[in-house]
Order: sequence, then C-alpha cells, then structure tokens
Amino acid sequence: MRLAICLVIVFLCFICSAAKKVKDEDFSEFDDFDQDEFVVETPSTTSATLSSSKTQGSKPDAVETEKVIQADSNKGKQKEKEDDEEEEVSVIDEDDDSMFDDEEFEASDSFASATSATPDLKIAEVPANLTGNRWEAYQCEAVMIIALLAYLINFLIGRAKNARLATTVYHAQRDLLDRNFALVGDDGQTRNTETDDQVNQMQKESDHLYILWCSGRVSIESMLIELRLVKRQCAFNSLAAIIKSINDTLVYTIDFNKDDMETFVFCLAKKRSAVKLHRDMVDLSQFCAERKSADKKGFPGNYQVLSEIGEASSHITNDQKLAEFLTKYPDAIEYIHISDQYSGMKIQSDQQTSSNAATNTGTAAQQQDALNTSERSLRRVLIVAFNLTPQDGRSLQITSESLPGDYLRFVLQLIDRVAAFRFGSKELKNKATKNRQRIEEQFLKSVNLQRQEQAQLRREEKRRAEKEKVMQSDDAELQRKWEEKEHKREMKRRQPKMKQMKVKSM
Amino acid sequence: MDNRRQARIHRFRPALITQIDDALPDYMNLMGMIFSMCSLMLKIKWCAWIAIFAALVGFANSRTTDDAKQVLSSFMLSISAVVVTYMQNPAPMTIPFMQ
Repeated sequence: MRLAICLVIVFLCFICSAAKKVKDEDFSEFDDFDQDEFVVETPSTTSATLSSSKTQGSKPDAVETEKVIQADSNKGKQKEKEDDEEEEVSVIDEDDDSMFDDEEFEASDSFASATSATPDLKIAEVPANLTGNRWEAYQCEAVMIIALLAYLINFLIGRAKNARLATTVYHAQRDLLDRNFALVGDDGQTRNTETDDQVNQMQKESDHLYILWCSGRVSIESMLIELRLVKRQCAFNSLAAIIKSINDTLVYTIDFNKDDMETFVFCLAKKRSAVKLHRDMVDLSQFCAERKSADKKGFPGNYQVLSEIGEASSHITNDQKLAEFLTKYPDAIEYIHISDQYSGMKIQSDQQTSSNAATNTGTAAQQQDALNTSERSLRRVLIVAFNLTPQDGRSLQITSESLPGDYLRFVLQLIDRVAAFRFGSKELKNKATKNRQRIEEQFLKSVNLQRQEQAQLRREEKRRAEKEKVMQSDDAELQRKWEEKEHKREMKRRQPKMKQMKVKSM
Repeated sequence: MDNRRQARIHRFRPALITQIDDALPDYMNLMGMIFSMCSLMLKIKWCAWIAIFAALVGFANSRTTDDAKQVLSSFMLSISAVVVTYMQNPAPMTIPFMQ
C-alpha cells in the first residue's frame, strides 16, 4: 500500500516536471530575444510579433501583454540608442536595405505601423457579456421576460374580467331563479341541499366556464346554466376569438322526465350552427333529413329549421312569444335544440360505444359484461344557446346586467310550451315510434357486428396459442393430430356453401 | 302560481356538463416537457424559454378539476431547464435564424 502511494507521488511529480518542461519549451523562443532587436526598425519588430502571435494563437491576452511589454521596452531603449545611432544613421540605412529584401515581405506598405493586422492574424472575439456592461448583452432574454410578464398580466386581467361577467350574469338571474326553482346552485357534493348559506355565485369549472344547477320545478327535472366565456385569460385564445369572431355564450340545458315531453326531434339554429349541429349531433343526423330555411316564418336573421315531425316543429315556431323575442333581439338565439333521443355529439358517443364493446383486457366475464351494455344513454332535453354580445353600443358588462333576465324568462316560457305539447293524432305518434324503432335496430345491429368481431378475434387468438403450444412441444404425434383437426375445420367451413348450392339447384 | 316543487329536486352530477374536447392544456404540458428535455440535453437556450411559455399557457387553459400537481411539475421542469442551461453556458441567447 505504501509502495503504491510512493509510486503515485513519483508519477505525479514526473508529470508536473514534464508539463513544466513543455511549458518552458513553448516559451523558449522568447528566452533568447534581446531588447536590442526590438527597435524602431519596424520589419523586424512586426516579424517577431508575427512569429510570437502565430505560436501563441490561443493566448491572445499573453500576446497582448507581450506586445505591451515590448512596446514599453522599445520606447525605453529607443531614447538610449538615438544618440548612439545618430552618426551612423546612413550606415544603418544601408544595412537595412541589404539586410531586408522587399521580397521577404509581401506587403511592405503594411509594415508602416506596428499594430496593423495581417490576413493570418486571428483576433479572438471576446464574448459580449464579458465586456463593458454585462446586462446589456442579454437582449433576447429581456424580450422573453417582458413577453412572459405581458402574458401573466393579460392572464390576471382576463381572469378577473371573466369572473366579473359571471357575477353580473348570476345576479341578473338570481331572483327569477329563486321564484321558479326549489334548488338553485348545487355542486353535488354537499350532504344537505337545504343549507342556510345561499349560493352567492356560479360554480367555477374553469376560468372560462361557469355553471349553475337548478332543480325542483314543475314539468322539468333540472336545468343547467352554462356560461361559456371567451378564454380571456389566454392571450392567444383571445386573439383567436377576435379573428374568428367568437363571443360569449349562455347555454341552458333542461332535462325532462319521460312523461313531461312528447317524442320528437327539432332544431332551430343560425345557419353556421345548423350546419355543425346537423353534422355532429347523433339525433339530428339520424332523425332530421334536411335543413330548411326559416324565412317563411318571418324570423329576422339567417335561421334554419331541422325537423322530424312537422306538427311539433310548427307548434314551436308558430309561437307568438318566439317571434317577439327574435324581433327584439335578432341575433341573440344561436340555436334551440329539442330532442327526446339526445346522446351528445357523434365522436363522443362513438367513443362511449367502442369503450363499451371493445375491451381486450380483463377476464372473459368482464368482457361479456361490457358487451352487454348495449344501451345508449338517451336524454330528453331542451337546449337553448344565447349569444352574449354588447347591444346598442354599450359595453358587454352593462348589457350582461339586463339581457340574462330576458333570456331566462324566454327559456321558462319555452319550457312550458314544450311540456304542454302533445301529438294531435295517433298517426304522428306511430310515425315517431317507428322512426325510433328503426334507429334502435340499426344500433343493435352495429353492436352485434362488433360482438361478432370480438368473438372471432378471440377464437383466432386461441388457435394461435394452441398452435404455438403444439409447435413448441416437439411431439410429432401431437402435431399430426392438430393438423388433422385444422384440416377438418377447413372442410367444415367449405362444405355448407356447397350444400346450399346443391339444394338451390334441385 | 308557484312553480317550485320540492319533490322534484335532483342532485347535480358532473357528467351532465357538456363535454367540450379541449386538448390544449394537455398538448401544452407535453410540449413543455419536450422542450425542457431538449434544452437540458442539447443545451439550447430558446427551447427552455419556450418550455416556460408552454407551461404558462397550459396553466392558463387548465380546468379547475385538473390536477394542480401536473401543472406545477411542468413549471418546475421548465424553470430548472432555464437555470441549468444558463449555468452551463452564461453567454446571451442567440436565435438561430436571426443572426
């Protein structure tokens, strides 16, 4: 152990001495330089500095200091030698000419000044942050920080504005809601709905979505008020909203009981929304064949109607109060969607059915349970969406103090009208029932198909597993037996078709 | 006429809220993580700054029901990416295409 330590120490000393030698050798060129050589005769000084800078290309500081030292020594020696060399100036000049040929120096003009740079000289660039005022160099960082701060400030302002809007809308509707609903404001988590503390604001789902749950009214089960605001808290989203002209929306979703509402599907919407709803909503695409213009009804604005049963649609659209409301607020209603077969948008309902029917993990029993849930989640709903836009040149804040009250009053009237409607004749009722049966059958077929596919997949997987087992077992007899089985299965599959053909020909 | 009925009260269920497919917060979180990793491994400064932006945008667009831990971890990762990148190389940032 001690021997090893001694060896290591000796080795380290050797390395240090070798490094020193190398260092000394590096600088050996400058050891023999006499101060006499570095005089006003510029060719020699520049050549000396050239050679020194070439060898020390990576040490600009060292070169600079050496130059400074040389310059200082030049000045000192120059004065001493001036007197001595005055008499021999001419001689020295001649010597100069003979000693130094022009051919040696390519650019003799440039040697006039000792500090002129030659093409080969590489002056290393000092990083900007190490010269002068360091912080001025960080311009990009300053821009980034300013952008971040600006986004943060916009976030705080946008969030506060949205919160103020929500409070205003809530207070505009609070009294009317209290008079119509036994329960106003419920988060679904408190044990007792009858508390002394009154709900003071809408429930905040996110900075751009506020909701309010109301329940306990005649002819409906519940009403959910959703205030979908523009995402003012995100600078990019608010810019996009300005470009796409998206505005704040107030959506009322009313759920009916089975006995409260007749079975029909209807939609009255602005043209841009009608296109989207007809394409995306499952019930509207299944039950309503085409979009018709609502100009005949005399509604201002560009409205379209999607209708399943004509009588139900005319019952809704021939309402005097609807016409008055549309005349008073031409662009307020974005869409009215009434349906007893509501199941959401197409992509979401597809995801639901696929997640129900196609689960590859879990036991066979669990899979079977999942496949058995072939029921669609249907709701009887009335959905009314209003645009919250500044009216009559006033600001949004001021208009949202008065408008929501009118909107709510209209919605309550519409609820009563829908709940009061019943089909005039049995034929219409039968027609509606037939439509629903047809759609139900289509849905069951698709679920059946999926189940079959699942079963087939499972069978193939089993067969593959068997095959692997048999192949790995290295038992020739087993393999032969398995191949025979496969052969029989193939024959069975082919035979029935041939049999059918035989029967037909007879 | 009083339309209120105590017997017809139903409790709120969160599933009844209309589902709007907004994947922006998730994308922003993912972007933040990717850019943070890029900046840490490749020592690129502007990646770290973009990671901070992405974390901030993800936070601004997040829902109240979302887990706050994920947003916070995204923030922490992006800030650590900036700090580590500058510690490795204190020189000012240069944007590649703007020389």
